[in-house]
Amino acid sequence: MGAVNDFLIFLAEGFTGLFNAAGDQFASFITGMIPMLICLILTIKAVIQLIGEERVYGFMKKCTKYAVLRYTLIPFLCTFFLCNPMAYTFGVFVEEDYKPAFYDAVVSMMHPIVGLFPHANSSELFVWLGISAGYEALGKNSSELAIRFLIVGLIVCLIKGIVTEKLYLIMKKRNEAKLAA
Amino acid sequence: MSEFKSVKASHGGNGWGGPLIITPTAEKPYVLSVTLGGISPVALRIAELTGAEAHDQFKDPIETDQACAVVIDCAGVARCGTYPKMGLKTLNIKPGSPSGPLAQFITEDLFASDVNPDCIVLADAADVPAEPVKAEKAHEETTKENVHAKIAEGRAELASKESNGFMDVVSKIGTGVGRVISIIYQAARDTVNDVIRNIIPFMAFVSVLIGIINYTGFANVLAGVLTPLAGSLPGMLAIGMFCSIPFLSPLICPGAIIASVLSVLVGNQIANGTIPANFALPGFFAVNCQVGSDFAPVGMTLMEAKPETIEIGYPAFLFGKLITTPIQIVLAYVLSFGL
Repeated sequence: MGAVNDFLIFLAEGFTGLFNAAGDQFASFITGMIPMLICLILTIKAVIQLIGEERVYGFMKKCTKYAVLRYTLIPFLCTFFLCNPMAYTFGVFVEEDYKPAFYDAVVSMMHPIVGLFPHANSSELFVWLGISAGYEALGKNSSELAIRFLIVGLIVCLIKGIVTEKLYLIMKKRNEAKLAA
Repeated sequence: MSEFKSVKASHGGNGWGGPLIITPTAEKPYVLSVTLGGISPVALRIAELTGAEAHDQFKDPIETDQACAVVIDCAGVARCGTYPKMGLKTLNIKPGSPSGPLAQFITEDLFASDVNPDCIVLADAADVPAEPVKAEKAHEETTKENVHAKIAEGRAELASKESNGFMDVVSKIGTGVGRVISIIYQAARDTVNDVIRNIIPFMAFVSVLIGIINYTGFANVLAGVLTPLAGSLPGMLAIGMFCSIPFLSPLICPGAIIASVLSVLVGNQIANGTIPANFALPGFFAVNCQVGSDFAPVGMTLMEAKPETIEIGYPAFLFGKLITTPIQIVLAYVLSFGL
């Protein structure tokens, strides 16, 4: 009888212990991250509203002509000003043949941007938070990580844009040849 | 073209929204299925009852303005808000209430979730709203406009009464400050909503996950599996290439949930010291190679790309990953030194 009782107590302790550990984790998220996130996101949202995205549109439209800007600066500005998923709507101003590549560049910007600007894709924040929280746990500052993530992200967007653009044009040509035959 | 019938679609047991009355017309004869793994049975059921045509929007995208309804399987981020925003009746076969960045567009008259084929029934005559509804709405809008016009008139009157120099300046500053404050306050409200709807639920999910992993000793098992994979360049390339397989990537992509969970696991191992800190940077890219695979047709629709463009562009995008995945991981690895 005593052994069974001990076992049950052991189980119950394990059960509540697990959820205590989870609760501690949750509390540390709420107190450690939420206040800063709210203030940061609030400020950026207000700044975007005050600037007005229409004002940057004219400049952005001009940039879409150049491949280097089309797959780096423009995806960044789209995600910054319009956020996920409305960022894609700017693709309306991109030439038809570049749209798949532009999609690739914009979607690849969705996560590298959140290290510095979490408002851009707040629903998928944990792709960044998971690893960066572990990094911070070592006592390191994650700002440098965030900056490098964004820089690598910009280079990756450019590479992806160019590769997908070329692939699309090759596949389109092949398709047209098939239709003609 | 009166052979089309109307159906009533209600939400399922764990669902939200609806019931929606779906009536195909000659201009809108399609039920779009934006679901992975072929046309959803829900779309087929609607097609069978109404006489509309079920259409696989992933395989062969068409203009969305030909659709009378859209069936989606969205985990709650992007797709579920995109179609309601376009004003399309949207049926989500997954459960869930309005969420994601476009949650404000997800309304009961446009959206129902956890829909299964049994939720679709032929509509009674009483259920089918006749045209007057539209007229009513138009009426409402005009009255709203009237109200706005009246307010504007009132303001104009006020302004004309006090149009001396000093008061002008004061009132201009007043309106300016008022505008800025209202924008900031609105931003605050949006932000808090966003955090409650999208960020805190995920934090709770991750907390339980971390609690289980750390408390049960599962962390040690995971370290054994993850360290060789996420703690070395070849291992990361292996994860990345696996997540980039064109037929697999759309399946593991929705809501970035798998990427987030992998990120949390890798982060946990970095905190424990089993994975070196500089692997954080290539880690971001390795766990998220599948990014955007499920959303590509919808994203390109938002760009108003032609259906032909999407048809070729989607596979081009998926196969492009096979080339760019190793490049991005190696690049991130090279740039990670010194972290």
